[in-house]
Amino acid sequence: MRKLLLTAVIAALVPFGLHAQTASDLMKGSQKDTANVLNYGMGYDLQRFSPLTQVNRDTVKHLVPVWNYSYDDNKSEESQPLVYNGVLYVTTNAATMALNAKTGEQIWKSKIEYPDETPRIVCCGIINRGAALYEGKIFRTTLDAFVVAMDAKTGKELWRSHAIDFKDGYSMTVAPLIADGVVLTGISGAEYGIRGFIDGWDPDTGKHLWRTYTVAGPDDPNGKTWPGDTYQHGGGSTWITGSFDPDLHTVYWGTGNAGSWNPTTHPGDNLYTCSVLALDPKTGKIKWHFQFSPNDPYDYDSVAEMVLADLNIGGKPTKVLMDTNRNGFFYVLDRTNGKLITANQYITKQTWAKGIDEGGRPIASEITDKVRQGQEQDVWPGAMGGKNWSPVSYNPGTGLVYANTLNFGMHYKPTTPEFRAGLTYWGADITWIWPDGPRGGLKAIDPMTGKAKWEAPSDIPRFSGVLSTAGGVVFSGKLTGELEAFDADNGKKLWQFKTGSGVEGQPVTWQQDGVQYIAVSSGIGGVYTLFSGDERLSQVPAGGSLWVFALAPQ
Amino acid sequence: MRFAACLIVGFSLCAFLVSARSQTTPDPPPSPQQFGKGSELFAQICSHCHGPHMVNPGTASFDLRKFPHDDRQRFFNSVSNGKKAMPPWKDVLHPDEIEAVWAYVRTGGVEPQ
Ligand code: HEC
Repeated sequence: MRKLLLTAVIAALVPFGLHAQTASDLMKGSQKDTANVLNYGMGYDLQRFSPLTQVNRDTVKHLVPVWNYSYDDNKSEESQPLVYNGVLYVTTNAATMALNAKTGEQIWKSKIEYPDETPRIVCCGIINRGAALYEGKIFRTTLDAFVVAMDAKTGKELWRSHAIDFKDGYSMTVAPLIADGVVLTGISGAEYGIRGFIDGWDPDTGKHLWRTYTVAGPDDPNGKTWPGDTYQHGGGSTWITGSFDPDLHTVYWGTGNAGSWNPTTHPGDNLYTCSVLALDPKTGKIKWHFQFSPNDPYDYDSVAEMVLADLNIGGKPTKVLMDTNRNGFFYVLDRTNGKLITANQYITKQTWAKGIDEGGRPIASEITDKVRQGQEQDVWPGAMGGKNWSPVSYNPGTGLVYANTLNFGMHYKPTTPEFRAGLTYWGADITWIWPDGPRGGLKAIDPMTGKAKWEAPSDIPRFSGVLSTAGGVVFSGKLTGELEAFDADNGKKLWQFKTGSGVEGQPVTWQQDGVQYIAVSSGIGGVYTLFSGDERLSQVPAGGSLWVFALAPQ
Repeated sequence: MRFAACLIVGFSLCAFLVSARSQTTPDPPPSPQQFGKGSELFAQICSHCHGPHMVNPGTASFDLRKFPHDDRQRFFNSVSNGKKAMPPWKDVLHPDEIEAVWAYVRTGGVEPQ
């Protein structure tokens, strides 16, 4: 009886109790709350790890599809689904959808419209990477650079705020982050001469709270790292969601390449491009920054996920940030102060740097020296990097980071672009250099050495997210359509299912009414498909849909 | 049959269909300069949807190697005004720039000697 009363009191105190996601719900992440997937990255730490074990290395062979949902869209489907109280929320470039997580029935669908001209300024696929949930609202971004809030129950639009004019090259594909009660969003367009930033918004009203530029201007001492007014088109996009440490009240957000790629057009370190920024989410103030690739010629964008973990380093529990950087090095930083702990090469071949010095600065190779003198050169990795956007998974049990790595180089020729609003501002002509064998591999990387415990190679590289679980399974998708499962300890392939298009989505898992589900989007059309000219993909049809799997009843 | 369709869709489109028909004589080969400018523009602003050197897996956009090399009108119309997921370009590209890209596309990417 007393218990009942207490429940009633709590229900009265928390009016949204059952259909709202409080700040403390969001803090749990999938590791403490296996019934829901409330965050992009399955937790503020972006570990994409679940303690669930029903689907494990022994049972995974019995995994079967339980439902499939058509996105009615033929673009690249990279959206990560969210799950709350049995409702699955997912996005495409053209719609936001709420589905019954158990049956796949559509509860509501809210369409997104943008001007026909918008795709002109989107370099690498017409994409939306997902939504954020908070206090009964669902938040997302649009290709033409709006941030939208909807009622999570009905899909009704509550507010819509304009970030910036897409005609100047700005677009949005990023999933928002909710941190300390603020909605944070990034921006895309470093190939179109933008000046990048991160924004903070009021979740209730859509009021713009702050903007922090990722390209330092004259009002910032680090603005000196840009000659003249080059900062105005300096790039530094922010199109992957940051991580958040609620104890430190700090958001960790990666920044993109410098604009243009040609380093001779903006000599200097070009802060804060190719960096990670530690921000106060309430004000956007930069607490510290760490730059991976100063004066970057190669599009070694550092936007991709900054994974947070507590590692035991030399017998000391240490709050770290891990980055499988596009430049081919795996970084471990102390996230309390931004100091480098270690950085090691994790890909088979890189020729742009001789190494990383103790302070974290790369030591340029002769090739890079020549490129900085304006010469054309062959360099590894190519512009898609050692790992592209595809998010990794960190399994605290095995201590390994599972990453879809790339293995190809490029012939790089610097050019001098002229800025024209709304057109590309590349600054280099590149042609790919392919290896004889596989162009990529899923690697199980030791964060402290960069060495791989195992690798599952793939002729056509993988560009999907990775999920790992305490069941000893690692999930990831292929551009040819397979969702695959591997043994977390040795990389042995355990299971696969062929979906109808290429998988570029982000697999997630949750447990509902005693059943563990795994969901992933299928739908080809991202950066490799568009830029590689890999004709083997001509036999993979476009066509987006969501697949959900569970163990077949025994 | 075509006449009937014209009656239904109205006069202006009908005029367009007729003029498209009368335009089937192929353009003469472009000058190397025009081709060069076209291939550069293509690499800069078209290749990220249509593939490097027009080599595109062809799943989500049009395989331009298969675009009819004698259909100038259709090319100009689609590129200027857009078509389904193909964005319109007329507000940002000069006509001579579209002309240069056409020079590149209609040669199939093979540089004229
Ligand atoms: C944002 C991606 C994108 C960009 C950039 C783009 N295209 Fe397209 N294009 C498409 C898509 C998608 C289609 C297929 C449209 C359809 O569904 O019919 C297409 C179709 C076409 C067609 C065939 C239209 C027809 O008549 O059937 C031509 C010609 C074309 N594009 C030329 C160009 C040129 C030239 C450029 C550069 C100036 C360019 N495209 C840039 C996406 C793009």
